[in-house]
Amino acid sequence: MAELRYCLAWKRPDGSFQPGETFASFAEAATALSAWQPQSHSGALSTQEPCCTDQVEIWCSCQDEPATVLSRPRYSFVVYGTVAGGGGDGSEAAPWWGLQEAITGLVELERSGQLALRHGQRLRLCHREVFATSAGQKRKARAENIAKTVFMAMALMLVAPVLAILVYLLVKGWPALSLSFFLENPRERMTAGGIWAPLVGTFFLVFISLLLAAPVGILAGVYLNEYARDNWLTRIINLAVVNLAGVPSIVHALFGVGVIMFFAELRRNYGIWVPFEDRCLLAASCTLAVMTLPVIITSTREALASVPMSFREACWNMGATRWQTIRTIVLPNSISGILTGVILQVSRAAGETAPILLTGAVFSVPVPDHGWRAFVPYGLHDRCMALSMHLYTISTQVVNVPEHVEYGTAVVLIGLVLAVNSASIALRVYLRSRKKW
Amino acid sequence: MKTKTEPAARPSSSPGESPSSGRSEVHICFRNVTVNYASVVALREINLEVYRREILGIIGPANSGKSTLLRCINRTLDFVPGAKVTGQLLIDGQDVLKVRNVYALRRRVGMVFPLPVGLPLSVYENVAYAPRRAGVRQRHELDAIVERCLRQAMLWDEVKDRLDILGTKLSGGQQQRLTLARALSLDPEILCLDEFSIAIDPVTTMRIEDILRELKQRMTIVLVTNLVQQARRLADRTAFFMAGRLIEVGDTENIFEHPQCELTRRYVEGDFG
Repeated sequence: MAELRYCLAWKRPDGSFQPGETFASFAEAATALSAWQPQSHSGALSTQEPCCTDQVEIWCSCQDEPATVLSRPRYSFVVYGTVAGGGGDGSEAAPWWGLQEAITGLVELERSGQLALRHGQRLRLCHREVFATSAGQKRKARAENIAKTVFMAMALMLVAPVLAILVYLLVKGWPALSLSFFLENPRERMTAGGIWAPLVGTFFLVFISLLLAAPVGILAGVYLNEYARDNWLTRIINLAVVNLAGVPSIVHALFGVGVIMFFAELRRNYGIWVPFEDRCLLAASCTLAVMTLPVIITSTREALASVPMSFREACWNMGATRWQTIRTIVLPNSISGILTGVILQVSRAAGETAPILLTGAVFSVPVPDHGWRAFVPYGLHDRCMALSMHLYTISTQVVNVPEHVEYGTAVVLIGLVLAVNSASIALRVYLRSRKKW
Repeated sequence: MKTKTEPAARPSSSPGESPSSGRSEVHICFRNVTVNYASVVALREINLEVYRREILGIIGPANSGKSTLLRCINRTLDFVPGAKVTGQLLIDGQDVLKVRNVYALRRRVGMVFPLPVGLPLSVYENVAYAPRRAGVRQRHELDAIVERCLRQAMLWDEVKDRLDILGTKLSGGQQQRLTLARALSLDPEILCLDEFSIAIDPVTTMRIEDILRELKQRMTIVLVTNLVQQARRLADRTAFFMAGRLIEVGDTENIFEHPQCELTRRYVEGDFG
């Protein structure tokens, strides 16, 4: 076998390697590495000496034969550019610290026989900054970026339908939107005029239902979070709340009808006083109240639970009663969350059609255009109009309604919901900025 | 609700007490007190007497029932689901475990837990919280209480110009001293300290220890501590707990110099494990 030759090859800016000086032994070639001036950024290399590069290779070939280079280096080592430590073994995980340690290490490996280059094989030495990312870390970072992009795309897809609906409705309903659209009552079998009567109806329905549901829901939430122990009674209440939240709204409506009939019978047969005995505003509001109750309870409990337990214990330790603690510490610091939960129910109640469809809302109620009766058109025991119901009526039950009136009504309804939701978000942001711990 | 908050209004002694006897009169008495958390026994048949106007140091490794012992005294163990106490715990001869008005009891027992808790109120209102709940209305009375407690907790100089900032905005060590000030705000006759110095720097700790020696003239102090040397510095008597049992109790000097029990000797000499 012919003598082996070792050739130093410097990496060129284009990525190929340029063979340089040739040596008779590996140790000589390794020692000649001390001429290397490692540079990490290969972009700035062109004007520099060939030895100013971030990778260098030792090519091995027989004396007689021409050097043929295999695609992958037989060995690959890493060296840090600075000497800030020691004891590396040249691997990817523990690079050598500084060129001197690398040369000593290479010579040592070759002499002990752990490193033997044959013809056509090569050894690569890579320079790395101490805090530079390795290839493995770059792969991880790329996977991380892909995952983030995919997740974000999915999240953004949520926004698309909202925007699409809003834009479509606005474009279609734009011709109808004007101040008089809000302030006028429907005329000519609902084919002209505005939406005043249903708008006021919706306002009444939501207001009365919250008047009923908010106190009950908040107080129940306070009981469940602050007083209730973990026993069968609490578990039954929790189960009821969860199940009530899951009841479809049309079932609530049927239940409301059942209650109306029951009350009417009580009144007729026994002469007992009942709050309502026919379909009316109050009955519809009660149905809405029952529907929103579980969510108000749940959001109240969550708001209360966000007040740290240690505050309560500190108060109890000083002899404060539970009610004193709730009044002075717990409620003042959770009221923002409670209010947010209640406000969110406004928009939900305003949008619901099914529960009021059977219990109090009707197609059309004649409402005066002028005078104070225009502002209080419905009594508690009158039937009323509502925006969601009105939209359903004019788009399915009435013929010859101009399209822009239908879309205009939809815009008002969705705008109402969005406005209320935005108000609750704004309130939450404001109160969170004043958070006390 | 009208409650006595002035130190002078508190019954200073029971009829049988002779003033000269000082520390020898029993203030708190544990008789066969056993505490279970569901199936775990936290304290096992504790018989322990705490004398009036002494500092009783309680030392012992983790899980030995030290904190549970304190929670028994002011009945905050009631809040722990599944906790069950048997036996008798007498304060001035009255069984705490049968007390109806636990709120009055808790006003007589000041309690400081290891983690600092600043209530989300101003520093002033933090200290005035308990007196207000107990019925103190006059502004000048409250001012006096707040200043006294903050001085005793070594916090007055740091916060006197900003009594209106939130207690939660103070630093950890300051909040811990605020917690101590709150515990003192009703001028309790018993003060339970559970690792009070855990978040306080050594210099302030030393100053508070001096204050505790002073307070000892007026109140009984039960001091749970993991710092064995703190018990040695402060306590008149020391009790050693381990695994829910009272291993040994006696004069601090005896416990540290001539412990009767091998376990105690090894613990105070740091010879465990």
